[in-house]
Amino acid sequence: MATRRRRISPIAWMIAPAALLFVMFFILPFGVMATLSLLSGNPVSNPNVTLTLRHYNRLFDSDLYFDALIATLRIGLVTTGIALVIGYPLAHWMARMRSRLGHALLLMAVIAPLLTGIVVRTFAWMTLLADRGVINTTLAWLGFADKPLPLMYNEFGVVVGLVHIYVPFMVLTLVGVIGRIDRTLEEAARGLGANRARTFLEVTLPLSFPGILAGSLLVFALAISAYVTPVLLGGNNVLTLPMLIYQQVSASFNLGFAGALGVVLLAVSLVLVFAYNAILSRVTGERQLA
Amino acid sequence: MNGRPLDLARAAYLTVNGAIVFFLLMPIAIVLVFALNPTPYIAFPPVGVTLRWFVKFFSSPDFMSALWLSLRVAALVVVLSTTIGAMCALALARGNLPGARLLTTLFLSPLMLPAILTGLSLFQMLMLAGIGRPVWGLVVGHTLVAVPYVLRTTLAVLANFDRRIEEAAAVLGANPARVFFEVTLPLIRPGVIAGAIFAFIVSFDQLPISLFLVVPGGETLPVVLLNYIRFDLDGAIAAASMVSIVLALTAVVLLERIIGLRAYVRL
Repeated sequence: MATRRRRISPIAWMIAPAALLFVMFFILPFGVMATLSLLSGNPVSNPNVTLTLRHYNRLFDSDLYFDALIATLRIGLVTTGIALVIGYPLAHWMARMRSRLGHALLLMAVIAPLLTGIVVRTFAWMTLLADRGVINTTLAWLGFADKPLPLMYNEFGVVVGLVHIYVPFMVLTLVGVIGRIDRTLEEAARGLGANRARTFLEVTLPLSFPGILAGSLLVFALAISAYVTPVLLGGNNVLTLPMLIYQQVSASFNLGFAGALGVVLLAVSLVLVFAYNAILSRVTGERQLA
Repeated sequence: MNGRPLDLARAAYLTVNGAIVFFLLMPIAIVLVFALNPTPYIAFPPVGVTLRWFVKFFSSPDFMSALWLSLRVAALVVVLSTTIGAMCALALARGNLPGARLLTTLFLSPLMLPAILTGLSLFQMLMLAGIGRPVWGLVVGHTLVAVPYVLRTTLAVLANFDRRIEEAAAVLGANPARVFFEVTLPLIRPGVIAGAIFAFIVSFDQLPISLFLVVPGGETLPVVLLNYIRFDLDGAIAAASMVSIVLALTAVVLLERIIGLRAYVRL
């Protein structure tokens, strides 16, 4: 921290291009979005616009829109819970893997899906979950199902797809935290007579709680802002906030209402992101990079 | 746990984890099956092996113009985001800037804030300004989400290397410019290259931002695929998907060799 007191070096100027990019094309647009959400019309084409809260009222007055908000949060919560249950064992395995090669292979297995396009991964789930897809065909062949199970075009399918897409984020967050747990604490518990289950439940699990919280916040933030997966795996039976936002632009061209929906989603995300950063920087004690 | 004979609990632990890895990788593997299966719709089990879907994909003008646009945009995004991101990382790590921590959070925030809002707000601003949806808007949107990756990989390298190497060079008489070009720059190169790989993949697969910024007839590959999937579910999509999967696998292997994927987890 001694570096803090040093003079600002000329190297600091290298931040200029990034600062310019972010002010002009990130911060300013969000300002425009927030402003449009409070105006009655387009301020450029219509000089008589007034300030209004009607876009926000519309969101909370209409059952359709309010239900979409609730559905978004519900899908986000369920996705987060399942991603945690699936991600934790894998993160634990990876954090405790002694073999370098095993560790590298596991990391590849986690990061490869992460780098595969989201449309591609969702398409893969469609081929698995469709009425004539892999799962239903196999079940029918085994004689387990007379008619196809409804695996997609509903919230179930959306959750399955989202879990698959966001588990890697959960794993990567958890690995760092579990890897930092002092192994001697676990050994002490074992030495004092606790069995393996009790050691895990009373030592390892509580110590990894910050990771659980941070990973859950991250996955929740990503899941509520997903667009592709709800559209493709939910079909016409699922409506989420991001779908609604795109609809307002592409079909209704209602920039004000889209802006209001955007502000609501942004507010929720900002709270989640700040909490995530605060938790992780407390755990690692380092500059938080993600 | 290692070295002990396999017991029931250990076996259960490994089985569960094996199942989770299977869950992660199987959907990606299944795409290859459909890319090679000759039936004109998605059907399982496969009845044969054909390359007709690859032929259909690579000979379709719609797919090819989209692929070409995606590649051109991604190339521009790589150049822009590595330059901007690497400069930004150096400034944050070496510039002694007040509030560097807060600035880092700001520049990394496009990773976590909904990309659909980055697209929506950029679209709203360009519409309001009467600019419309030029290709540079698309490039700018992608660059915003690619910069954080470059920043992150470069910062990781900068955090790991010993600052005394630079100080030693300065003490030995190198001027600041020489220290920068002969010591700092070569040292951060792996981080910047890894960032460039991420930037390419992120741009090539980007969808939520592109959705708002493409014009009809000038869509990127993911947008074309999304629209196609809504009406048709045939092997052409699977063949197109293989492009994305092959790119991802190549990237993972390259990243492991250049920077070590371990660095990615520390973040």
